[in-house]
Amino acid sequence: MGKQNYIECERKGLEKLINFRLPHYFYTIGMLIAGMAIVMMFVRAFALEGDQEVLKEVFKKVLLIGMLLMSVARDKVEDEMVVKLRMQSYTYAFVAGVIYALVMPFVEFGVSNAVHSGGESFKDLGDFQVLLFMLMVQLLCYQALKRMR
Amino acid sequence: MLSSFKTHEIMKNTIKVERAILSLTQDDLAKKIGVSRQTINSIEANRYVPSTVLALKLSEVFGKPVNDFFKLLDDD
Repeated sequence: MGKQNYIECERKGLEKLINFRLPHYFYTIGMLIAGMAIVMMFVRAFALEGDQEVLKEVFKKVLLIGMLLMSVARDKVEDEMVVKLRMQSYTYAFVAGVIYALVMPFVEFGVSNAVHSGGESFKDLGDFQVLLFMLMVQLLCYQALKRMR
Repeated sequence: MLSSFKTHEIMKNTIKVERAILSLTQDDLAKKIGVSRQTINSIEANRYVPSTVLALKLSEVFGKPVNDFFKLLDDD
């Protein structure tokens, strides 16, 4: 394969990856999965007894998967403007996510120490917290931008 | 040179007029070129600049060159 062909092949692959979207019905499926995960989290927290740490982790992952499905599902009418708005929402989510990950540990540390002296020690955010925040920002921004268009 | 990203400051269009000439609603036009009604609304309000492909599709529907209904403002 020539160098030019190789570059062309790589470009096509990358374009395919960038344009990848799931069919629109995955939005509903994602919403159901995320909704069920949230309900099950409450059930686990208030109705189930005993050590349920594994279950908690599983529901967290399921919630993220549900939201990811919502995020990558196609719109009913997926035109170029919708694609642009989606890209814009990913940009906002990325920037907001980085700022959140940088600032939030200090806020948590400050609040915890202000509320009760000698509160929690300084610790970084977990992956779940950051990913959940980024997905939430992306979905909210996307809906807001669509409403404002 | 295009120094601003605010589309209403750099260009204007007469799509609304062209649409009226053909007695098309936003929805009709949207269906003809395969976009949503909201996209047509945004283009008409100069909130969104369509791609070349979409502009050429509009040109085909209106039977006029793109320059006839998309114009850069004098400053630019």
